[in-house]
Amino acid sequence: MNFALSNDQKMLRDEVRKFAENELAPIAPEIDISGEFPKESIKKLAEMGLLGIVVPEKYGGSEFDFVSLAIAIEEISRACASTGVITAVNNSLTTYPILKFGNEEQKEKYLPDLCSGKKIGAIGITEPNAGSDVAAMETTAVLDEDHYILNGAKRFITNGTEAGIFVVFAYTNKELKHKGITAFIVERDTPGFSLGKHEDLMGIRATGNCELVFEDCKIPKENLLGELGQGFFICMNTLDVSRIDIGAQAVGISQAALDEAVKYSKERVTFGKPICKFGMIQNMLAEMATQIHAARMLVYYAAWCKDAGIKRFSKEAAMAKYYAANISVDVTRKAVQIFGGYGYTKDYPVERFYRDAKILELYEGTSEIQKLVIANELVR
Amino acid sequence: MTELFVLIEHRKGEIRDISFELLTCAKKIAEKENLNVTALLLGSKTDQIIDKIKNYAHKIYLFDDPVFENFNSEIYQKNLSDIIKKESPLLTLIGHTAFGMDLCPALATELNIPFSTDCLNLTFEDKKLKVTRQMFDGKLNTHEILRENPSYIITIRAGSFPAVEGNFNAEIVKLSPKETTEPEYRKFVEYIEAAIGDVDITKSDVVIGIGRGIREQENLEMIEELAASIGGVVGCSRPIVDADWLPKDRQVGSSGKIVKPKLYIAIGISGAFQHVMGMKNSDTIIAINKDPNAPIFNEADYGIVDDLMKVVPILKEKILEMK
Amino acid sequence: MDIIVCIKRVPQTAEAEVSIDSTGKSIQKDRLTFDMNESDTYALEEAVLLKEKFEGNITVLSLGYPDTDDTLRIALAKGADNAIRIKAENFENPDAFQTAQILKSVIKTINFDIILTGCIATDDAYSQIGVTLAELLEIPHAALVIKVDANEQRTHVHRELEEGLIEHLDIKLPALLTILTGINEPRYASLIAIRRAAKKEIQQLGKENIELEDLVINSVIEELYVPPVTKQVEILTGSPSETATKLAGIVKEKGLI
Repeated sequence: MNFALSNDQKMLRDEVRKFAENELAPIAPEIDISGEFPKESIKKLAEMGLLGIVVPEKYGGSEFDFVSLAIAIEEISRACASTGVITAVNNSLTTYPILKFGNEEQKEKYLPDLCSGKKIGAIGITEPNAGSDVAAMETTAVLDEDHYILNGAKRFITNGTEAGIFVVFAYTNKELKHKGITAFIVERDTPGFSLGKHEDLMGIRATGNCELVFEDCKIPKENLLGELGQGFFICMNTLDVSRIDIGAQAVGISQAALDEAVKYSKERVTFGKPICKFGMIQNMLAEMATQIHAARMLVYYAAWCKDAGIKRFSKEAAMAKYYAANISVDVTRKAVQIFGGYGYTKDYPVERFYRDAKILELYEGTSEIQKLVIANELVR
Repeated sequence: MTELFVLIEHRKGEIRDISFELLTCAKKIAEKENLNVTALLLGSKTDQIIDKIKNYAHKIYLFDDPVFENFNSEIYQKNLSDIIKKESPLLTLIGHTAFGMDLCPALATELNIPFSTDCLNLTFEDKKLKVTRQMFDGKLNTHEILRENPSYIITIRAGSFPAVEGNFNAEIVKLSPKETTEPEYRKFVEYIEAAIGDVDITKSDVVIGIGRGIREQENLEMIEELAASIGGVVGCSRPIVDADWLPKDRQVGSSGKIVKPKLYIAIGISGAFQHVMGMKNSDTIIAINKDPNAPIFNEADYGIVDDLMKVVPILKEKILEMK
Repeated sequence: MDIIVCIKRVPQTAEAEVSIDSTGKSIQKDRLTFDMNESDTYALEEAVLLKEKFEGNITVLSLGYPDTDDTLRIALAKGADNAIRIKAENFENPDAFQTAQILKSVIKTINFDIILTGCIATDDAYSQIGVTLAELLEIPHAALVIKVDANEQRTHVHRELEEGLIEHLDIKLPALLTILTGINEPRYASLIAIRRAAKKEIQQLGKENIELEDLVINSVIEELYVPPVTKQVEILTGSPSETATKLAGIVKEKGLI
């Protein structure tokens, strides 16, 4: 057994941390207020090779493993949760399914642009009437000679306003239920594809979250990803991977909250001494640190499973995502509590962390769905 | 009598303040150790400089040649090593300046003389030279003992010995330089003056200096607003210029501008000595920094230990109210 | 153009609490982070820029303890070709002068056109190793360099003097330049470069591998201490609103508003 990071993982962590602290953290409060997508940051992420972390070098990626991907997402999220999820979506929800299920032409066509930041990636699963129940989706794709005609809408799409390449799921045969769902690669400028409502979110506010609308959207037949009817499988397989990164995002946000709380508790004096000397504060700090450590171990372990080639790690990924999201809300809440009234103001970043953390229990499968996945694996 | 050498620094025909400080330091040591203070002046058309320093030294060694008009460490080194070798002064003092930093280590190494740099003070204890220096971003001082030797070379930090005029009347001894040809491997080309910007921070009664602590460029706006409320201008420490957030002509410090406003407010500045050199003679100094151990508080008249993001906006409001 | 960059791994103390350890001669290091000395990162970047222009080889060199390998490896990822660690554990607390002598013994076995160093290490703040090293190697130097414009034989440099004045020099290569912060914009290492650098070997030189002359120590630290307070500051206390009000009052009292 070995818990030590390898040389390249350690270097990646240190360099990404430095990059995130210097380049991302300073603008995080500002883009949280404005909701403006951090385009300049994305350019810098691309230069460092952070947009295609697990993609092979021949497609323009950095060719690292999934533990490294998790570490990178953690460090980015520690500085800016919005940039963290933007990066996670580009990596594990767009480049990953194309890499894993795409054919050679698709990989060569789309991966280099996604890795270089020339085009940003997004994924369309959720719909106005289909969230946790993926199979309830209403979007359809009908073959018309050499095109599929897409109709429907996707909701809450991270990177939606900025993305150039979308992986979109639609029914090609409703009667086959989930086995009738197929995945497609949709380019932004496809006729019949438009953006709908831009969401004004509680947290992760700079993520270009919006609705996608398909009205007789004509997609070339060769943009079918994987096989006809393989969409649900692709979706679940992709979510197994991306949940690890949402867990990593949770660890990053939580760590940022703990760092701030420790610093503040040493500076803030009440009743004649720094509040870090008080048992009740220490109790919270100790709990937070332990929760974060446990979450990080779950995340790294799930990523390690993927790297080790273990076929079925849905349970481990769900546990990592469920637990890390859960403690992240708790840890950021405690951070606000330690800051007292100041924690509730925008003078300090902990209120932002608290808002950012809540989404973790909702997207890429709610906590309830994660528990369902875990339980199903237990009683299978 | 044993000699104490002081290297006179000048630029463009003007003597530099550090020279008087070195001579003041020299006098103090010379009295205690019974030494003879000799100013080493390598220059061209030096009458004015001689006039200014003759009360500060027992003797002036004058090397007069056009080649000494501009500083060139190589040619200075050749002539200085010659005279130091000949006379073996107990101590040679050089300024810890752009000039001294370029010269001292090479000179001392050539002569195999123990040396130290950027010293704030020095004393002889049992013939051993003990120097005071600063380390770790000015947060700690050290005492260091130099290897015992008949001769030492030290560079002194500017501002360590405020100049006090002496009552000597120096004997002027003209020496013929050993080397007066500028070496082909290091040639002086020109001085380039700093570009003149839209704001002259040396002319304002109020200067607000900002440093690393402001974290992000966007916070400049808040500082500009504070400056506007009080009728001042915004200056900064070196990291802000390195990051290109403000132009070079706003830099306060030894490599930037020296300011002496009625009020200097240092915001998010830790107080590295290079910065302090540029603002310590301000009438009133206020420091806002969240690190209570920041060296800037040693220079300030008033201090606030808190997050500048919280204090600055309120300060602006209060100033506008009181106006 | 072959370039040597001398770097140092130092504790990051600018914004950290610094306290003296039990020996009284050093600081407590366990809670500090360590990284490449700030001006050294600019020296390295300048070397990479020169290499991009002239091709050639960059060697990074550091006298340091085993954890210095991490710093050297990042230097490799940022564009250096070879890295050498001289084992500090083989030497007893070398001072700046001794460090320069050790570096010289190693450098004289390497081909180079330019040596770049940072202009100051933020820990001991001597600003002397670069210029000392140039003298030991008997090559020309320039300290506090803020611009480098080289050709194969010579380089024009700008030195930053006091009060914003620049001194423009023309120097023959091989030469040593000590580099100031702000001369360029140091890059981050890309992930691909990190992956490649992680596999590269860092040459380890022990005392037995170096042809050393008799080492001379110039100075020994006797003690570290907290600087005495020279000016009594009046710290204003209270909430931000209270302290800001007090401060505004003082500004008004002084007749500045």
